[in-house]
Amino acid sequence: MMDCAHFRRSMLADPHDPDAQLREHRESCHDCNLFSERLLRFESRLERALRVALPPEVSLPVEAPLPSDNVVPLRGAGSPRAARRRAWLAMAASVLVAVVVAGALWLSTPGPSLAADVVTHMREEPQAWRRTDVPVQDAKLETVLRDSHLRLAAGTGIVSYANSCGFRGRRVPHLVVQTEAGPVTVMVLVHQQVSKPVQFDEQGYRGVIVPVAGHGSLAVLTRGSAADLETIEHIAHRVLDSIIWTG
Amino acid sequence: MKDQIGGNQKRARFQALCQSLRPDLLRFAFWLSRDRTLAEDVVQETMLRAWKAQDSLADEAAAKPWFLTIIRREYARTFERKRLVTVDVDELVAREEPMLAAAEEQNLAEMRAALFKLPDEYREPLVLQVLMGFSTAEIARELDLSGAAVLTRLFRARKQLRALCGEDTSMDPEE
Repeated sequence: MMDCAHFRRSMLADPHDPDAQLREHRESCHDCNLFSERLLRFESRLERALRVALPPEVSLPVEAPLPSDNVVPLRGAGSPRAARRRAWLAMAASVLVAVVVAGALWLSTPGPSLAADVVTHMREEPQAWRRTDVPVQDAKLETVLRDSHLRLAAGTGIVSYANSCGFRGRRVPHLVVQTEAGPVTVMVLVHQQVSKPVQFDEQGYRGVIVPVAGHGSLAVLTRGSAADLETIEHIAHRVLDSIIWTG
Repeated sequence: MKDQIGGNQKRARFQALCQSLRPDLLRFAFWLSRDRTLAEDVVQETMLRAWKAQDSLADEAAAKPWFLTIIRREYARTFERKRLVTVDVDELVAREEPMLAAAEEQNLAEMRAALFKLPDEYREPLVLQVLMGFSTAEIARELDLSGAAVLTRLFRARKQLRALCGEDTSMDPEE
């Protein structure tokens, strides 16, 4: 029988350890379950902190020829070794040009089209928007979140709607959270990258898409709400804080 | 002509490989060196060495650990060349201030500052596990340690990090 100290030591070494004995202990011990929840939340923050942004600072202007052992150095151009080194550096430059361009694309914002797609999706599910204090069934919420490898920590607020929706070729969680600003829709877009928060206010929907390091982005929006964009962004970060990534 | 086509294909494949791995390599180098400029230099030199030694990469699926090994060696060489013996963590945090300030949330900036303060021997296996997705056995192989030693370092890394971040550690076990 595993004891609490052993469980917690193992969890601190690897919070995602799938060992069956660890799982059994967690399910049977309230304190260790609480410890595990807190640790996973910390782990989620740690993962985001490690995924530092990579601004494309390196810029090399020219595409260079492949390095070749047949390169003959020009008179006065330095030693053969230096010439070879320049050739290798030139090759590296061409590689870096390619990866910098790719990096820039990787970090680029999606522009209004992503926001427009989110709004279009919202218009297709008007039933999700009702104000209520009845939460969605736990099993339903768990299924929707599990498919995207995440959980919500306690204290997120009432989640009144949860559905796994098709969005840009992937199934993503579509949730409605009841907040002080009214019902707020949340979409976890694990496959959509944004480099910085994108605010939008169109067709009666107001919202923000914020980057989630290592996990795509999070769209949060309200409908016909008096809430300003700053409040919505604040809500988005609160939701983000309550997400525990499990994969 | 045939050689040129083959060379172009080889280069294109190498470029694609570098392109797909670059974010992870840069982040790993950053957390290894705690210096963005040095990380860029180390990754650039790594790609150069990797290109030269690409014939020794038998399986592209094993490219990530192969690149990481080169990065670690290259960083060690840089360390020797520049004799970066003393590290003032407060200075490091100040130098990386723009990057830290750009963090999406203040608590991420605090976490990064705490990571800077972790001893290298604890930070490195933690980065390999959390950022690179390495298993305990893979970390042990990369760092030339036993599995038990890796688990001990990971345990200590998280324990220290949680304390540095002001987390409630009252439920944390003793060693």
